[in-house]
Amino acid sequence: MSTAGLKCPCCGSSSIVEDDHHAHRQMVCVDCGAVVSEGALTHDFFEGTDVSYSRTTAVSKKPCLNQIKGQQRLTALCRVLRVNAEVETLSSTYFAQAYEHESFLKVSLQKKENLAGCCVLVSCRQLNWPVTMGTIACLLEADIAILGAVYQEMMKVLKVEAPLVNVSDVMEAHCQEYKISSLDVHEDLAEDRKDLNKRALSLVELAADSWILTGRQPVPLMMATVYLAWQSLNPNHIRLKVSLEKFCLIAKVKKNRVAVKRVSEIKGVLCKLGKEIPWVTDPVTSDNVVKHVGDIVKNRYALLRSAMRSHEEAMRDSQEEEVNPSEADDQTPHATSENSEMAEQPREGNESNANQNPVPNWGKRMLFAPPCVIHPKRRRAALEGLKDVTGDEDISDGEIESYIRTPREAREFAVTQKAWLSQSEEAKCQ
Amino acid sequence: MDSNNDDTLDIIITNVVATFRTRCHLNLRTIALEGTNVIYKPEVGKVLMKLRKPKITASIWSSGKIICTGATSEEEAKQGARRLARCLQKIGFKVRFSAFKVVNVLAVCSMPFAIHLVDFTKKNRPIASYEPELHPAATYRIKTIKATIQVFSTGSLTVTGPNVQNVATAVEQVYPLLFECKKPLCK
Repeated sequence: MSTAGLKCPCCGSSSIVEDDHHAHRQMVCVDCGAVVSEGALTHDFFEGTDVSYSRTTAVSKKPCLNQIKGQQRLTALCRVLRVNAEVETLSSTYFAQAYEHESFLKVSLQKKENLAGCCVLVSCRQLNWPVTMGTIACLLEADIAILGAVYQEMMKVLKVEAPLVNVSDVMEAHCQEYKISSLDVHEDLAEDRKDLNKRALSLVELAADSWILTGRQPVPLMMATVYLAWQSLNPNHIRLKVSLEKFCLIAKVKKNRVAVKRVSEIKGVLCKLGKEIPWVTDPVTSDNVVKHVGDIVKNRYALLRSAMRSHEEAMRDSQEEEVNPSEADDQTPHATSENSEMAEQPREGNESNANQNPVPNWGKRMLFAPPCVIHPKRRRAALEGLKDVTGDEDISDGEIESYIRTPREAREFAVTQKAWLSQSEEAKCQ
Repeated sequence: MDSNNDDTLDIIITNVVATFRTRCHLNLRTIALEGTNVIYKPEVGKVLMKLRKPKITASIWSSGKIICTGATSEEEAKQGARRLARCLQKIGFKVRFSAFKVVNVLAVCSMPFAIHLVDFTKKNRPIASYEPELHPAATYRIKTIKATIQVFSTGSLTVTGPNVQNVATAVEQVYPLLFECKKPLCK
């Protein structure tokens, strides 16, 4: 249909028709085909609510992919450790909290994985579920030093505390790793898990009382006590011949190098106590002490007291001999009070002389002391520091000259350095 | 040095770290060329210079900041720092010794008794922390004097603090707590 009044701007013709281009309304000139006018393409609606686009399209914040993976890893860890639901929920909460914190936002994936392990560890500790850091490190295949650093940072960030892990609690879990039940090995070598655990626990308590446990890693000590417990529960000649390395092979456990040292330390303590057993006449050495472990462990408190008493008496006698080598025999009743005073004096003398070496002195006096004290490392004598230094003294030129090269030396040095650098570059090219 | 009982405890200062500024830019290449006893580390951007007397190692940055380590007293650290500044002056830089500050003091001390670390940590939580799987010592941090004490079961202590006085105070504060933990709790 034609529309009156409209004229084509190109040719001036007045025959304009409505010719829609799909849904687009257009007025077109019939003669030249020019588009005279067209309708709007869009329809602006100003009705509806005043909600902004971002608000209508917003969704609740979802955790990122790495956080989801971390949570899954955490759940997997909890399943492997077979912890209860309470521990699992607590560790998930801690992980969610810690992950959002700035210290853990832009860190490596390895660190985030370690964080998951640390959350499990903290929750287990708080809810009295015995797990060691070594176990978590093993499961995550992580370096324990890095895990430790993440653990300490996490504790600071979350502001939580965790009670210390008691070695006795972890002992049972540790014993379960050793495959020496009658199903796994020969009858002579097999041992009941409960008996093994009990004996090993008593050895651990003994180690704690005699300063072997404090300050040391728990795992090597646990391995040493399990080995000694296994030997002592049935000390036949077969078991006594088995070394720690062989025992680890039999029990399918990875050997710990430090455990060998712990075995010798525990044997030392057992020998000291074995000497106090009244019915043992043969001398007790580290070779035959394993036979007596059962008796020692049963009566350990009495033996400890007895050993301390005999040690004190021996110390007193040796000091009396130092002071009164001849008189001690004659004046025994009168000498008890005098000797106690005189014994004080050489002891004090020892202490004043021992300003240079106070540590080995007191360590050698005790029967039970940390092994580092009984066998101290020999230290080189410390260099004498400058005395009477105020810090504001004059500094002579002569002293300073020794630190500065003369111009000739500096030139020679520069030339030599250049020559050396060019040589090394040539060598690299070849 | 200081005592709580009749016995005297020797606190031996093993390291004092101090910083100062020279208030001028330093050309590290020149120092490396004209100074003896120097190690140039271009990858880090510093020069290490060692003095014989007092036995000090200094890290020199081109901005003019210098960190001196290895002294055994605060006065020695100051003397070493001044000696170093003189050295740089002789080399040809317009050095002005300023902003000298002792930043850290490390000392060791030995108790004449062994310490049960588990008891010590239990009695002093949360100031004390102990992780035997990570480190054999218990760490005791005193926030008020900014001192950290590492307590070993053998009775040795390692104390770090901002100055010598704080270190001494820290040892005095911790001694009675350690004395309580001489013997194990059970028995």
